Amino acid sequence: MRLMESGTTIRHVRCLLIASACAALSACSTSLVVNADFPVPLVDKLPVRVGVLFDETFATYLHEEKIPQQASYSIQLGEANVSMLNQLFSSMFAATEPVGALPLGAGEQQRLDAVIMPELERFEFDVPIQRTDQFVEVWMQYQLRLYDTDGELIAEWPATGYGKAEHGSRGVALNRAAVVAMREAGAEISTEFSAQPAVEYWLEEKQNESALSSGAGRGN
Amino acid sequence: MSRHCLLGRAAATSARTHALVAAITVSVLTGCSVSSRMEPYKRTDAVIGEGEQVVVLARKHHASHETEAAFVDCVSDALAQGSGGLEVHDTVAFEDQLYPWFEPSRAPLSTDELSQLLEKPDVFERVEGTGVRFLVWLDGSTDRVASGGGITCAAGVGGAGCMGLAWWEDDARYDATVWDIHELSSTGTIYADFRGRSTLPAIVIPIPLIARPRAAACRGMTEQLRQFLTSPTSYVPGPDLQ
Repeated sequence: MRLMESGTTIRHVRCLLIASACAALSACSTSLVVNADFPVPLVDKLPVRVGVLFDETFATYLHEEKIPQQASYSIQLGEANVSMLNQLFSSMFAATEPVGALPLGAGEQQRLDAVIMPELERFEFDVPIQRTDQFVEVWMQYQLRLYDTDGELIAEWPATGYGKAEHGSRGVALNRAAVVAMREAGAEISTEFSAQPAVEYWLEEKQNESALSSGAGRGN
Repeated sequence: MSRHCLLGRAAATSARTHALVAAITVSVLTGCSVSSRMEPYKRTDAVIGEGEQVVVLARKHHASHETEAAFVDCVSDALAQGSGGLEVHDTVAFEDQLYPWFEPSRAPLSTDELSQLLEKPDVFERVEGTGVRFLVWLDGSTDRVASGGGITCAAGVGGAGCMGLAWWEDDARYDATVWDIHELSSTGTIYADFRGRSTLPAIVIPIPLIARPRAAACRGMTEQLRQFLTSPTSYVPGPDLQ
């Protein structure tokens, strides 16, 4: 019993020392730039040409959070987000090109059928404090909006991703969990885009339009 | 305090010390131990052929646990090694080549779902291109199921030392489900449960006697999988490491 108490005491003293050191230095911080190579998704290309609009907030997304009695975190996700979604959209649509603003200019309106604009709505993470917790977890939610070329909203829907990674080095595990969450969100976006009711309706309209125009072309 | 009381306390302390030394001696003598149980079940006579590959994947859809990446790597590497080494496809490469269909939320949970997945355009061709015939799904994890004891350390002018005994027990419980992509069926399952008790006795210096049930489970599982994939029906139980 006494031995168990002393074991617990050692753990308490160790925790206290770590906490004291953190408090004294005020420097227990983790700065992370999420970094990964994302695979090309194996999905059918939809027969539409889409402009991709990344606003400044999305392209430079930075999550800062201070966890009381633990550490402060600074996680840069912008670059990884842009990299993943560029790859994803290129595989999902017949053609894509970056656009700067809505509504589109006359030239862009000729070339494109719609514009897709993602937003990272929520980013949450959990880092183990005790050794019994095994995983670093990340949860994120994107909001995707599809506009027509005049800037009218066609559809919007959320895509979520959850990732966990075995706790090792704090930064490495957090990076891995974030990448798993992004891959999950990417999987949802690429497999369920055309299943959104408003998108499905819009795609049907586009197909009908192109069928009509090709019919008219043959008629002429 | 009376002399009788002091003597009684000294006797009690001495008895506790003897008990501790006896416990430590027993733990040193018995060391660490791993007990095992394996239950293989093969329902077809399919075997891996020349030029065919196997890929080892982890089930990741559970909220509570996830098969450790280190365990997946261990089984993959061990299957590929040795004179009877099999052609093992890299796990990450396979998941990347088939992205997004083998992500945790999209991966098929049954052979019916696998069949539906392979009907999607380009997916079957991509799987064929990898050369993979058998998918091995690993599920389970290694968890600490019990622990106790404690160690006291002290340092002084004359030196430092520790005294005590700590112990813990880990349970490595995994199952492997083997799917045959050619037959679109489940070839069978292997269940492995390895339990290991580690001790850390300390008489001045702590002496770790660590049991590694996860490593033992990896060896046992690999041996069974190798037989599973190469022997049509003949099947012997795994080694009893008790």
